[in-house]
Amino acid sequence: MKLRRTLVFSVLIILIFILVLINFSVGSVDIKGSDILKLLLNRDTTSVRGAVLINIRIPRVIEAMLLGGCLALSGYLLQAFFANPIAGPFVLGISSGAKLVVACLMVMGSEFGFGISSGMMVSASFVGALLATGFVIAAAGKVKNMSVLIVCGIMIGYIASAVTEVLVTFADDYNIVNLHNWSLGTFSSSSWQEIKIVVIITILGVFTSLFLSKQIEAYLFGENYAKSVGMNVRVFRICLILVSSFLSATVTAFAGPVSFVGIAVPHVIRRLLKTSKQRSIIMGAFLGGAVVCLFCDLLARALFAPMELSISTVTAVFGAPVVIGMMLNKKRA
Amino acid sequence: MKKSNTDENKHNKNMDENMALKTGDLSVGYDGKALIRDIALNVKPGKIVALIGPNGAGKSTVLKTVAGHLKPVYGEVYLSGKSLSKMNSSEISSEMAVMMTERFNAEYATCFDVVSIGRYRFTSVLGRLDEKDVEAIDSALKFVGAYELKRKTFDRLSDGQKQRVLLARAIAQETGSLVLDEPTGFLDISHKLEFMDNLKRLVREKNIAVLLSIHEPELVKKLADLVVCIKKDGEIDRIDTPENVFKGDYIKTLFDVRSESFDEVYGFLNRGENKSETDTEGKDICKSNLDPASKTKFLMVQGTMSGAGKSLLVAGLCRVLKQDGYKVSPFKSQNMALNSYVTEDGLEMGRAQVMQAEAAGIKPSVYMNPILLKPNSDVGSQVIVNGKVLGNMKAREYFKYKKSLVPEILHAVDKLKEEFDIVIIEGAGSPAEINLKENDIVNMGMAALVDAPVLLVGDIDRGGVFAQLLGTLELLEEDEKARVKGLVVNKFRGDKSILDPGIEMLENMGKVPVAGVVPYMRLSLEDEDSLTERFEKKKKAEININVIRLPHISNFTDFDVFEQVENVALNYITKPEDLEWADLCIIPGTKNTIGDMKWLKESGFEAAIMKYVSSDKPLIGICGGYQILGSKILDPENVEGGGSIDGLSLLPLSTRLGNKKHRELVSGKIKGAGGIFSGLSGKEYSGYEIHMGDTDIGGLGDNEISDPGEVTEFTDRLSGYCRGNIYGTYVHGFFDEKDIVTEILKALSKEKGIDFTGERIVAHKDLKEREYDRLADTLREYMDMELVYDLLGIGNRKLEIRKDDKNR
Repeated sequence: MKLRRTLVFSVLIILIFILVLINFSVGSVDIKGSDILKLLLNRDTTSVRGAVLINIRIPRVIEAMLLGGCLALSGYLLQAFFANPIAGPFVLGISSGAKLVVACLMVMGSEFGFGISSGMMVSASFVGALLATGFVIAAAGKVKNMSVLIVCGIMIGYIASAVTEVLVTFADDYNIVNLHNWSLGTFSSSSWQEIKIVVIITILGVFTSLFLSKQIEAYLFGENYAKSVGMNVRVFRICLILVSSFLSATVTAFAGPVSFVGIAVPHVIRRLLKTSKQRSIIMGAFLGGAVVCLFCDLLARALFAPMELSISTVTAVFGAPVVIGMMLNKKRA
Repeated sequence: MKKSNTDENKHNKNMDENMALKTGDLSVGYDGKALIRDIALNVKPGKIVALIGPNGAGKSTVLKTVAGHLKPVYGEVYLSGKSLSKMNSSEISSEMAVMMTERFNAEYATCFDVVSIGRYRFTSVLGRLDEKDVEAIDSALKFVGAYELKRKTFDRLSDGQKQRVLLARAIAQETGSLVLDEPTGFLDISHKLEFMDNLKRLVREKNIAVLLSIHEPELVKKLADLVVCIKKDGEIDRIDTPENVFKGDYIKTLFDVRSESFDEVYGFLNRGENKSETDTEGKDICKSNLDPASKTKFLMVQGTMSGAGKSLLVAGLCRVLKQDGYKVSPFKSQNMALNSYVTEDGLEMGRAQVMQAEAAGIKPSVYMNPILLKPNSDVGSQVIVNGKVLGNMKAREYFKYKKSLVPEILHAVDKLKEEFDIVIIEGAGSPAEINLKENDIVNMGMAALVDAPVLLVGDIDRGGVFAQLLGTLELLEEDEKARVKGLVVNKFRGDKSILDPGIEMLENMGKVPVAGVVPYMRLSLEDEDSLTERFEKKKKAEININVIRLPHISNFTDFDVFEQVENVALNYITKPEDLEWADLCIIPGTKNTIGDMKWLKESGFEAAIMKYVSSDKPLIGICGGYQILGSKILDPENVEGGGSIDGLSLLPLSTRLGNKKHRELVSGKIKGAGGIFSGLSGKEYSGYEIHMGDTDIGGLGDNEISDPGEVTEFTDRLSGYCRGNIYGTYVHGFFDEKDIVTEILKALSKEKGIDFTGERIVAHKDLKEREYDRLADTLREYMDMELVYDLLGIGNRKLEIRKDDKNR
């Protein structure tokens, strides 16, 4: 068990390391591995390469890494909450809910001429995420059937997306471009300003999750058992949903809705770790999400450079088959 | 129970601090509605209090409330004197551990992980287990004997192992009280006993107060210090020691209150009072083919479980003995089956015995199955004694009646004795239902009644055959065990040499010889009831005959004949969309026409049938299905719960259900068939009618049908009508005639434009004859027939005859 865990974590960290390096060097301007260190040490932003690396690529890589981790983690927490392996921020419509409120904010910003800060984005996104989550939880209270719940989530997602589309249709031209890019999901707008916020939120999110791990472990055995061993289930549920909404809201605010990472990564990690130790799974999911988003962002950037794909396009290609495989597996079991 | 209970008063004197778990004037229920009131329980440390009562009495509701999962409607639960509602969850968890029936998805959690949840209240925020925790977990696992499972994945364990680990989890919580909801529910007998042992040891060694619910009265007797009896209506009837509760008839009355399952009925039939009758009656009345001194021989086949293959084994033995020249009859004292058969005398009996009688080459008689219970989930149950319907009885009524049935059973046996050399008796279910066997009359009780040796059959196909056989033997009383003269391993597939060492050990451990290892056989014979695999399979062939699987389907063996033709698939469908690929749709008979008509409407089948019919494909309704084809079904006499319902209106008929049961063998010629099956006209059919109520053309009274349309008489004597491709008849067994089946398949083949391949259809009877012989041959090959003859006490002298037989 121990060995397996060490192995999985080592591989994940090594992958992150390699992917970060490749991400640094690959792009419309190729930067050699040896140059990277030199440019970094000199804090050289005067040369084109230095500027590209320090002002564009590094923030983007950090953001992809951290947000990817947050996304996977948020998915995992939702899965624990709903006791359902195919729950995730995208599937349950939470990302789309966040998207809708952020879109409103953007349109309002241009309409009334106020600037939009990262903090406002995160807040708006958080409100949207909570609204959508509220709907899903209300639906979950009515239906016990998990597939119905998922369908509800998907429908909520569609409604939110539809409303967003309406907004986009009536928005001013130049906003549309912005909004459209963002609503598809991308890490391309990353900047150092954003990174600070992202880092803080990530640290908060991961630590709270780790503190919830003991309770998640007990909660897996059902509400009644959890209660009987001395857990305050109500408080736990509220914490769990707040943390997970907060995490997915952050991701949505900065990168737009990113699909499938929230479902596929925790699933794969659980299969790899084969454990019920929540601390390991939480850390694993975070690292796994980072790896996947780094990889997918690399593809999104590099595959058809200089054209860029939306991140969701790439994550869907890798994530959806995992989800399908998962459901087929479930049927058999 | 009220507070006036004597036991309670005794306890009241020195109670309070001493009480680990206590309730005061507690009322429990859902949504503020009390199901059970005035619950005053006192569970002392080191004592086990058990809630017993029929399913649905509300045992679980009480436990859920005590465990804090449900809010009390009124009153309060006290843990060590503190009021539960004023405690937070962590305080509660230090006082009381629970073990509920709900299952969870433990995924990759090991047993250690599962038990470690019990340590929740001891660990830090991050949930790190310290040495003390690990020690506690290990010792809890050791306590229940599951330490070796520590690293195993919980989900992969057997039910017995899981319950052990869950108990360990509760132990690891180190509480003064333990609440368990039906902890033995999922377990087989040996694991039940093992679990009980663990629990008793736990209470003794750790001085824990245990409150549990349990379904098996017999276990309670061995386990509990105090028994709380909850009646069906949710009233706490009595709190007393097990000795007192199990004295006399009390337990019977407690369970009488509800028709839980008729399996329980078996147990409550009292054989003791009537035993003397066997001794005085029925001696030497028989005219025997054997030595004049000897009388009719008995052999009984019992199974370790229902579906172990008893019925077929009895049929096979009947056939073997018949081939060897004996007059042999099957017998089963009490049958529970949806299907019944009508004898020539117009009497009803179980189909399994009919099948066995066929194997024995004799005419079926109701004496082979004196009691027939036809469970009818909605109305209660139909009780048929010696072929006659006594009526729809609730279990309560049946229990009052049951004692008078014992002489009926003996009378039936005596009748068989007059005529037959050998009677092969079939048991029901398992003889080791330890909660029920005390007053048994279908298994060991029956065997004792006629002093029959017993063959015990285990089903290897379902696994655990050694445990089945040895476990069953283990649970029998000494005198019962002594009756078991041979073991049979049934439904074996594969290489017997692998099994041989096990067989040897089985014989050594059970001290009973193994009379045979019988291979798994696929026979085209009729099944006793709906516990068969046939409903599950679904395959498409060139011609698809889809039978709608009504919830109360009855007499479904009607259609077996279609199964023998290669390019024909007989499917029992439950989804309306499966009608789309049907070439012939059949609506079968039902025990509850109105209920099933409702189901057709609700499930969307009605619309699907209309669509199906509009494509001019054929539809046949048999008996209840025929009633459903009509426009109206009325139930003025409350046969099926009253009311009326619109039928499918495919035939302009209306049915009035009535209390009088039509029950006769019929035969005749098909009068006028139209549509696809016009070729059926003039063909002869034979079968039987069995139904409550009458069906007539047009409406009944004020329920006039607007457009009667033209309709043709289909089967004789107004028993069936047809219009276009819609055919309906009351005649069961309509498809048993070769000509009719051939004609139907020919017509269907023609419709589909394919070659008809069913020319070699064997009439149902011949097919069955062949199968019985095959069954007998198999038994001869794989069973120790000499042992069987020894058991019957007639040596093996008929084996010579068999040799001549072989030349035939």
